[in-house]
Amino acid sequence: MAILKVHKGKITQNIKFEGRMKLSDLLLQNGLSTIHPCGGRGVCGKCRVEITGSVSAPNALEQKAGCRLSCQAEITGDCEVILPEDRQDMMIETGSGQAETVQSSGISSGKIGAAVDIGTTTMALKLYDLQSFAELASAAMLNPQGSVAADVMGRIGASMGGKRDLLRQQVTGAIEALLQEACEKAEIAANTVTKMVVTGNTTMLYLLTGRDPEALSHAPFEADCLFDETIDLFGIPSYLPPCAHAFVGADITCAILVSHLCRGNETAALCDIGTNGEMALWKDGRLYVASTAAGPAFEGAGITMGSGSVTGAINGVSIVNGKPHVSVIGNTEAQSLCGSGLLDAIAVGLALEEIDETGAMEEDEFPLGGAVSLFPKDVRAVQLAKAAIAAGLETLLDSAGIKPKDVSSFDLAGGFGSNLNLRSAAAIGLLPEELVACTTVLGNAALSGAAQLLLHKEATARAREIAKNAVHVPLGGNPKFNERYMDNMLFPEQE
Amino acid sequence: MELSLISEKLQAGKAKEVKALVQQAIDEGIPASEILDKGLLAGMNIVGEKFKNNEVFVPEVLVAARAMNQGANLLKPLLAAEGVTAHGKVCIGTIQGDLHDIGKNLVRMMMEGKGLEVVDLGTDVSPDTFVNTAIEQNCQIICCSALLTTTMGGMAEVVKKAEAAGIRDKVKIMIGGAPVTEAYAKQIGADCYTSDAASAADAAAAFCK
Repeated sequence: MAILKVHKGKITQNIKFEGRMKLSDLLLQNGLSTIHPCGGRGVCGKCRVEITGSVSAPNALEQKAGCRLSCQAEITGDCEVILPEDRQDMMIETGSGQAETVQSSGISSGKIGAAVDIGTTTMALKLYDLQSFAELASAAMLNPQGSVAADVMGRIGASMGGKRDLLRQQVTGAIEALLQEACEKAEIAANTVTKMVVTGNTTMLYLLTGRDPEALSHAPFEADCLFDETIDLFGIPSYLPPCAHAFVGADITCAILVSHLCRGNETAALCDIGTNGEMALWKDGRLYVASTAAGPAFEGAGITMGSGSVTGAINGVSIVNGKPHVSVIGNTEAQSLCGSGLLDAIAVGLALEEIDETGAMEEDEFPLGGAVSLFPKDVRAVQLAKAAIAAGLETLLDSAGIKPKDVSSFDLAGGFGSNLNLRSAAAIGLLPEELVACTTVLGNAALSGAAQLLLHKEATARAREIAKNAVHVPLGGNPKFNERYMDNMLFPEQE
Repeated sequence: MELSLISEKLQAGKAKEVKALVQQAIDEGIPASEILDKGLLAGMNIVGEKFKNNEVFVPEVLVAARAMNQGANLLKPLLAAEGVTAHGKVCIGTIQGDLHDIGKNLVRMMMEGKGLEVVDLGTDVSPDTFVNTAIEQNCQIICCSALLTTTMGGMAEVVKKAEAAGIRDKVKIMIGGAPVTEAYAKQIGADCYTSDAASAADAAAAFCK
């Protein structure tokens, strides 16, 4: 029997264990997870810890990272580890952009409902008075399943590999915690919540309901369940809206509910930019949907100095006197680079000719501010990510026989889409100029759509129509998409 | 003429000019093997090095490879007549259940740039197809790509099937793709993992020496 002494902030905890164990596994078993954006493969360097005692020698990946990684280090006897403190300052999108909401009147009818969005990275919940439609409180947190794997494929693999119960417990526990927090804020008892609408991508709903996700794990990627069902979550009837496809889920159905799509004759498109980019197009009474894996670059993974939207992260870069000028979350010294800052940094690098249109950098390092720089491999990671989104959009529009100029409304959904600088998105070729010109930022549209389902009976029929009539445009293995993907790796010509 | 000119035009992705220069070199009586080595392969080598150093990226490799193929097509019949054979033979594909092929195509192009003959099996390739192709076509290397954590297990199957077919002493198995690691290669008993296409081509060329 050996003891692992864990220090996290002001708290110290002793964990008993036997034999040789991977540090991240032992921490996870004891509810003390570190983050693993790369799924514990030792390549992203984000689970760095300080450890002393009986521990394996640093392996090649740790040597490359220049630090100990909890996903690689194996402990064999008594040791002591210092974990980074939880970032309570993580910014999570719960806002609903320009969607209509009723502000709280402070009077509750006693009938309360909750809308929940299970994002792959973040989760958010809002409480509503079911009679006055007033929004009572909201709460958000990181999806605890991130400690198992950052992306949906990693979690599907983990579920099939024996972690199905763990993943289900993690997400149901998180919903309960969010509910508790929101009820406390609204000063109501949790048992007054009588119904919920829980949305998320198809994989998230599989993991929530403990379904075997085998069908989602390989080509041809055909889901054997698309939900549109009511389940019981700790005694509360909870509606799971319909998904359109294995990789175009209920979150997109919900986002479409509050978008410009599926309304009359207007040609409208929607995109949720994340690790998976989902997109939809409404033209002449037909709805087309598609999804593409953009990778986690926009969330900071695989970027040398990348991070989420935390204090100290550069979230914007502009040009002042011919030099990059940064804005930093919390107005502190710049320590890292989050997705929106990364996009700006590349746009600025292109404008200052530090980066050319092929993505080659003039120097080995482009200093932005503080100790933060952009490196050649970061530019390459963004080229791949933005090419996937841009090529996906082009292919989707092309399948309906139109070009970006034919779209009259473009809706951006999701946290990243809410915070990015649209001019930078156009400058680096993530989004076509014509779409940027008619963009509406929806915020957390999945959550807003879930709230509609919670509050308006007739929305359920609309959601069913949306999911049922959506025509899925396959991008994987599509030669047209592949060609556009290559073309879009280049940056646009600078003016 | 200077064969380094072919190399330069190839690096710049000028397919038409590469084709014209290769024809000119043939007309001048330069042996096809020399045009291939000192012109086309020398050019692709430099592109590969630059790719490894992040100086050029996928689109540039693609146009350079297109230019190389234009020149190589002119040389093929002459090389056969000279009795020159490829430095080695590889079969490559994306593993079963996985439809990604851009990374795999890049590896194929880089390997061709090393003078290797590559049989491209496409995507969603079963372990049996890898092994049977290696046997039927006398490949020295099986090269598997996987982009999904959920499908990479198919690579272990390829290793097992190759063992069962008794070709493990003759055929090297190389693996790669975003979720794949060195440790995974060791775990399943593959011979080699590389993190990028240019390194994969280097490793394949070394195996075929």
